[in-house]
Amino acid sequence: MLSSIFSTLFSMRFLVTIVRLATPIVFAAIGTFIAAQSGIGNIAIESIMTFAALASVLGSYLSGSAWVGVLFGIGIGIVTVMLIAFFSMKMGANAMLIMIALNTFADAVAIFVLYLVTGEKGTTASLTTPVLGSIDIPIIKDIPILGEILSGQYVLTYLCWIIVILLFIFIYKTPTGMRLRACGLNADAARTAGINVEKMRVLSLVLSGIFAALGGIYLSLNYLKIFSRGMVSGQGWMGVAANGISAGNYWILILSALIFAIFRAVSIIFSSNSAIPTDLVNAIPYLAVFAILTIVSIVNYYRVKRGHVEEQ
Amino acid sequence: MTDKNTSSKYSKEYKLSISNPKLFDAIKMAIAILIALAITFVILCLISKDPINALKTILLGPLSKRRYIGAVIESFISFAFAGLAAGVLFKAGGFNMGAEGIFIITGAVVAWIASSPVTSSPILHPILCYLGAMLVGGILMILPSFLKAKFGTNEMVVSLMLNSIYAGVTAYIVRTFIATQQRGSVSSKDYLASARIGYLYEPLRISACFILLIIVTIGLYLMMNKTKLGYQMRLAGVNPKFAEYSGVSAFRLSITTAVIAGVLCGMGSTTQLLTQTSYYTPAQSLVGIGFSGMLLSMLGKNNPIGIVIAAFFIKYLEQGAAILYFVDNAVPSEIVSIVEGIIIMLISSQYFLRRLRERQLLKEGLEEHAK
Amino acid sequence: MSETILKLDNVTKVYPNGTVANRDINMEFEKGEIHSIVGENGAGKSTLMKVIFGIERPSSGTVTYKGKETDFNSSMDAIKAGIGMVHQHFMLIPSFSIVDNIILGDEPKNGIFIDKKEAAKRCQELSDKYNFELDVNAKVSTLSVAKRQKVEILKTLYRNAELIILDEPTSVLTPQETDKLFDQLRSFKEQGHTILFISHKLEEVKKISDKISVIRNGVSKGTYLNEELTMQQLTNLIIGRDLDNDMNAYKTNEDFHGEKALQVKDLYMERNGKPVLDHMSFAVKAGEILGIAGVEGNGQQELVRCITGLEETKYTGEIDICGNVVNDLKIKGRRNLGMAYIPEDRMGDGIAGALPISDNLISTYYDREDINGKIFMDTKAIRKTSEDLVDTFAVKTKSIDTSVNSLSGGNIQKVVVAREYNTHSKFMIAEQPTHGIDIGSEEFVHHKLIEMRNAGAGILLVSANLNEVMSLSDRIIVMFDGQIAGYFPKAQEVNESELGMYMLGARHQTPEEIGGALND
Repeated sequence: MLSSIFSTLFSMRFLVTIVRLATPIVFAAIGTFIAAQSGIGNIAIESIMTFAALASVLGSYLSGSAWVGVLFGIGIGIVTVMLIAFFSMKMGANAMLIMIALNTFADAVAIFVLYLVTGEKGTTASLTTPVLGSIDIPIIKDIPILGEILSGQYVLTYLCWIIVILLFIFIYKTPTGMRLRACGLNADAARTAGINVEKMRVLSLVLSGIFAALGGIYLSLNYLKIFSRGMVSGQGWMGVAANGISAGNYWILILSALIFAIFRAVSIIFSSNSAIPTDLVNAIPYLAVFAILTIVSIVNYYRVKRGHVEEQ
Repeated sequence: MTDKNTSSKYSKEYKLSISNPKLFDAIKMAIAILIALAITFVILCLISKDPINALKTILLGPLSKRRYIGAVIESFISFAFAGLAAGVLFKAGGFNMGAEGIFIITGAVVAWIASSPVTSSPILHPILCYLGAMLVGGILMILPSFLKAKFGTNEMVVSLMLNSIYAGVTAYIVRTFIATQQRGSVSSKDYLASARIGYLYEPLRISACFILLIIVTIGLYLMMNKTKLGYQMRLAGVNPKFAEYSGVSAFRLSITTAVIAGVLCGMGSTTQLLTQTSYYTPAQSLVGIGFSGMLLSMLGKNNPIGIVIAAFFIKYLEQGAAILYFVDNAVPSEIVSIVEGIIIMLISSQYFLRRLRERQLLKEGLEEHAK
Repeated sequence: MSETILKLDNVTKVYPNGTVANRDINMEFEKGEIHSIVGENGAGKSTLMKVIFGIERPSSGTVTYKGKETDFNSSMDAIKAGIGMVHQHFMLIPSFSIVDNIILGDEPKNGIFIDKKEAAKRCQELSDKYNFELDVNAKVSTLSVAKRQKVEILKTLYRNAELIILDEPTSVLTPQETDKLFDQLRSFKEQGHTILFISHKLEEVKKISDKISVIRNGVSKGTYLNEELTMQQLTNLIIGRDLDNDMNAYKTNEDFHGEKALQVKDLYMERNGKPVLDHMSFAVKAGEILGIAGVEGNGQQELVRCITGLEETKYTGEIDICGNVVNDLKIKGRRNLGMAYIPEDRMGDGIAGALPISDNLISTYYDREDINGKIFMDTKAIRKTSEDLVDTFAVKTKSIDTSVNSLSGGNIQKVVVAREYNTHSKFMIAEQPTHGIDIGSEEFVHHKLIEMRNAGAGILLVSANLNEVMSLSDRIIVMFDGQIAGYFPKAQEVNESELGMYMLGARHQTPEEIGGALND
């Protein structure tokens, strides 16, 4: 029995699963990261993913085109972050509270809309929706091991990794990226250099909303092919946790997201194995995030104690 | 100035004007509620054939029958406990969101004690359930706050992860130790009759839990406003650096508030289970209460009395929405969340109605100047 | 005839809360001059600079730059027009390189990318042209304060500023560094730049200026040629009376042989592998003020954090408050032994802005018997205490229930000082106690510190304001690079330039001389 688990762990299918499971977490992670770079802690990622997951399915259903559905999802993502920006920047509300509130009633709002359209409160299974498929890359798909991982993945997975690279270039190599970082590091300095800090922050929030939305859209329109209630199940928070661990380092961010995906994959493999209680196996990814986050903070704590402090 | 006013020149002036911050807050709340209801009405116009009646049902439906208002009274208590727990944490500046997980895992404790023949006394048995849940809740709530206070770990993410972990552990415990084969979904055995909480006044479904809530609320109100602990919470909530500078131990304070919040969650879960259910279903019985508590705390602005009123208000609307759903199933009961969301957004906006107040302040300032 | 570069006509600035910061100000600045604007803290200098630099819009009146009426919407417009500003608090990003800091907001591009090579080349050329001796690829976090200021100046030059505004540029410099800066300013002047120099240090103003404009209470008191003004006249123009500078006159007790209120022995702490506090030993006796002078960033903040118990990093050595070793105690334990603390970061550490004045007046002794009952806090006693303190310290407010952040900076500081005063402590740390407050409040705070000293408290005064240290202290320590560089047992007999040599690290006393700081 254990040997069967091990053989799965080292199989090709396991790697493929990781890549699939990583996509939404990586989207969530870069979404949190880009906002944090300009000095905004976007903890509404989870709710944006939920809204976008539903909106994209409904958009696809109403328009008859999956790509219009994607635009719907992205649109909702942008609307949500603009709501946050409006209340925190223009109305003087505590952004943290607004985002906690958003997260807390995200499910209820999604169910409300779901019911209005489908008359059900669980899933969009009753709707026939065009969805997004996978891409086979010619030539590469025929390479024995690599082909299985690199080819045949979902469309948005490819988009995800393209964005990961483009975002790196944007943040660290372009003038706008540098200005955006400056806003997060010292807003007053950015302001006196003539940078419109509020505008930069709105820009980074919008990007954050788009990335988080893509994570949600991937889940509903690409991966599971339906929207079902509670489907985001903490993946947005894993992105937030990855950002916390990264301490501003982009590649550590991506790595953390990948590690979380590995634990999700492990939990899925174990849950098909009756030896270990499923209830506990389901908790594995959350336990992993909890443990890693805690360890990282303890290490940092002792670093400060020993006198290692970096001036930002 | 009246002759009665003998206190010194720096004393409070109670003015019946929006320059008075308390009155201004009340007006803000009232207008926020009106706006939220107006938006709800617009939504109802879009989805219901008879929007006027629909709104009327939501607002007045619960008053139409005694058992409706009884249902509100019975269900808002556990909900209010969740709000109080969040209020205690938020007031001291914490972002521990563990209430959800604590509700669920203490539910297992309650179900275990309630379904075991530990005593046959109908008074002692519920009390034991309460004590067990409060104890476990108080202890388990500490972890995220401890990690935050000691190592600076992100307590929000940690507590959310713990919620999922606790949910898994609870399902495992119930399935393994106290499950019954009688029902489809995983759930506990039926509670023994001695554990059920009876009514003190049956027509309105008032039980001893109601009295417990009142006592706890008053206690918390006094604690927050009149004691040193409450003062520490205020300092830490408004400016944690200042609290540290002043010598408030952030560590001790966050552990204390976490324990209080955990105990309150235990009270809430016990109340919910022993008054609303006859067996415990982990995936159902207590799900969402902990999270809703955070919204209540925002509605009540972290004030215990405000939170309890908010809990009643929300449960009242939910009851109204449930009645509406019964007569017109075009409107799902989740519409209450939208009302709630709009109110929270508006009352947490500092600039909402600010102009109005500033104009009044300026006017009063000028008048004073003229004197 | 020289040409006018900047002209202010009837500039008035009223803030939304009704404060009139500038009223009908008329000034004229000529190209290629060094023109100082002087006035007390809170006189309206900063607001006027913000108006010129486009951060604030004037409520009425006009600003004419190079013959054109300006209509700046933000500092960006001012920068484009050729105005540069060096802010008092540096506007730098420590984790960025010098190059990145300089080019931020105006980056040379190569396609859609930043042209890093071109950027580095341009910055290095600029630095070399003005003899700034900077390696432009270095991270700003590794630079000294004086070098950071150079980066700030380079930022304005990179943007081709013709008019450079320097806001209190010498407040972070030693007298020697100040001299160097002045040489540089003179060379800028020769190259045709106009310098607008803002300061409240009159000697420096007299040293560097061609012209001097005075602002008092938001109103212009005229522009004068430097040579037509004496120091006395200038002082009178600024404050409208003679300055009460000699605090020594108020000291009643000259006997410092009391108990030690604070003793620090061999204090050592590292940060990132380098010592930030390097074996410091000194003591403060009851009834004296020990001043700590030094350029900001030489370990003063760390020292204060170690003494108050707020430091998180581990340190070695022994700290002793009122006769008790306190190394293992947190701030509350140390306060209970008789420590009071006026913090540098008033808004961050010193108050809870959203809470009422009364709550802020008791925070450091909220658990004291006289304001507590058995279970509940004694609201009446708290009100009484607060009202008395507001009266004694002349805090301008209508009610003790007003939130403290609606007060002015000076009044907020009075709240902080009143609270610490009311702890009746034997030992007080006053960290930059008058930083950024109006002169009236400053004088008030100084008198209160002297009063506490006279009543027998030992006071450790940490200040970057050399005048403040010299006028209040009985003894002085100069800190440089985490060490005590110099110890002066008689504060009255020291002069500014001598202290400056030690602040800069150009001089260092022998261990024997420094050993006197322990005051055994």
